[in-house]
Amino acid sequence: MCELFAMSAGQHYTAQEYLPLFADKSRDNYSGWGIGFFRNGQVFIEKSCEGIYAGDMVHDSFQRLARVIDSRVILSHIRCTKSGHRKESHAQPLADKFLEHQWLFCFAGESKGCAAYASPRPIIEEDLLAARVFEFIRDGLLGQMADWPGLSLYQGLAVACKQLITQYPGEYIFLLANETVLFTFLNHSQVFLYRPPEALGEFLVLTTVAGGLTRAPDHWRAHAHTDPSRGQLLIVSGADLLHVGHV
Amino acid sequence: MCDLFALSASQRYSAAASLPLFAVRGRQNVHGWGIGFFRQQQPVVEKSGEKVFQDGRLHGSFQRLARVVASPIILAHIRYKSSGKIDECHAHPFVLDFWGQSWIFAHNGKAPAMEAYVSQNRPVLEAASDSARAFEFLRDRFQEAAPRRSSGSFYQVLRESLARLIREYPGEYNFLLTNGRVLWVFTNHRQMLLLKGSSRLEDVLLLTTIEEGLSQENWQKITAAPGTWGKILLIAGGDLLLTADLEPAP
Repeated sequence: MCELFAMSAGQHYTAQEYLPLFADKSRDNYSGWGIGFFRNGQVFIEKSCEGIYAGDMVHDSFQRLARVIDSRVILSHIRCTKSGHRKESHAQPLADKFLEHQWLFCFAGESKGCAAYASPRPIIEEDLLAARVFEFIRDGLLGQMADWPGLSLYQGLAVACKQLITQYPGEYIFLLANETVLFTFLNHSQVFLYRPPEALGEFLVLTTVAGGLTRAPDHWRAHAHTDPSRGQLLIVSGADLLHVGHV
Repeated sequence: MCDLFALSASQRYSAAASLPLFAVRGRQNVHGWGIGFFRQQQPVVEKSGEKVFQDGRLHGSFQRLARVVASPIILAHIRYKSSGKIDECHAHPFVLDFWGQSWIFAHNGKAPAMEAYVSQNRPVLEAASDSARAFEFLRDRFQEAAPRRSSGSFYQVLRESLARLIREYPGEYNFLLTNGRVLWVFTNHRQMLLLKGSSRLEDVLLLTTIEEGLSQENWQKITAAPGTWGKILLIAGGDLLLTADLEPAP
């Protein structure tokens, strides 16, 4: 399965310690990688269809990017192909602009039905499940916000997630972030959260890698979900888990 | 009755248009004023025990601050005392540290029972008022919950703290609480008015307790639902992220 990573901080930080660990723990995923972040309200994405490992070394560009990218929100995705081809346009994160924000999106999971979703505004035309899930969530959220002015983003997103797992049953984990807030949805498997002591509460790391990224798995708080007909929706901003809600 | 104001944006913003309007529309509050914001992660509060509006003019310092303060989140409070003296130290906002960060807090409402609260933690605020004690009460609950920071959500602790506050110290509480990145809002009396994307004021998220809002635009009125103990809002950048009712707790 693809693996996801996020770092959220109250100010600009690099993920130079945790991104290489993430790459190392995801070395079996050979179909590409990507890193997305925000700078001055704009989205930047660097991605590749090459394996995250070349021989016994983490991809050179990934290593360098890990050292130099600094942002309040950094997302990364390491891909294991289950749909689509092995090409750079299929690597994640994906990006789109709506609700007056630039958004980054990463997905891991499986859904046969959602691959057929036809959005009125596709993000990319190619066959890519992650793009269809992103479009479905975006379209659902926009529909809710249009129908219910004054609705909170959480409530709109929760309805869109519920529609997703109802109309297209499957296994979904995704990260959706703008420059200030990170939403995480899952209806299967688990995500692990960690606030490193050395960071003095300044940032929070989240990943789908089982057991977390460090040698002390008990430091990583698991948010697990086993019933695919329901789901959890987490809100993170800065170094804080602000809310955990059930869909 | 005091009044509250907040501006929230994803980037640094000034409230040069809306803050003066807030002060003018809230000028019946004659017992002080304060403006709070964060600069480089540090809380900054400027406040005064003087009237925000006198002899047909806005307080000079308030006017100047409104023009120059720029921050993603700006809070302001104009005071009509229901508790405590009239001086700078009793003006809002207040600042305390908990949950690993600094917080700015401003309150509106009456909660006489709250004045008797004695915090076991330090520091305590110099002001002798229900608002200062309410902020200390919240700080103390978060201190108690500190071991849960690695596993629990801020919302869960806030919700539990508010339920205990309302149960043990019943009263009227409208407050703003920010760490400079997100803004938590609670209301259990009067109302909050929210406007996003103003075309006449700042194109950000604006919030106030002033009943008619600050412009002739479509302000969203937010009140506690009947039968509940209040409403909690979470705001980040220019977005309302979450609204939730605080249900009565035994």
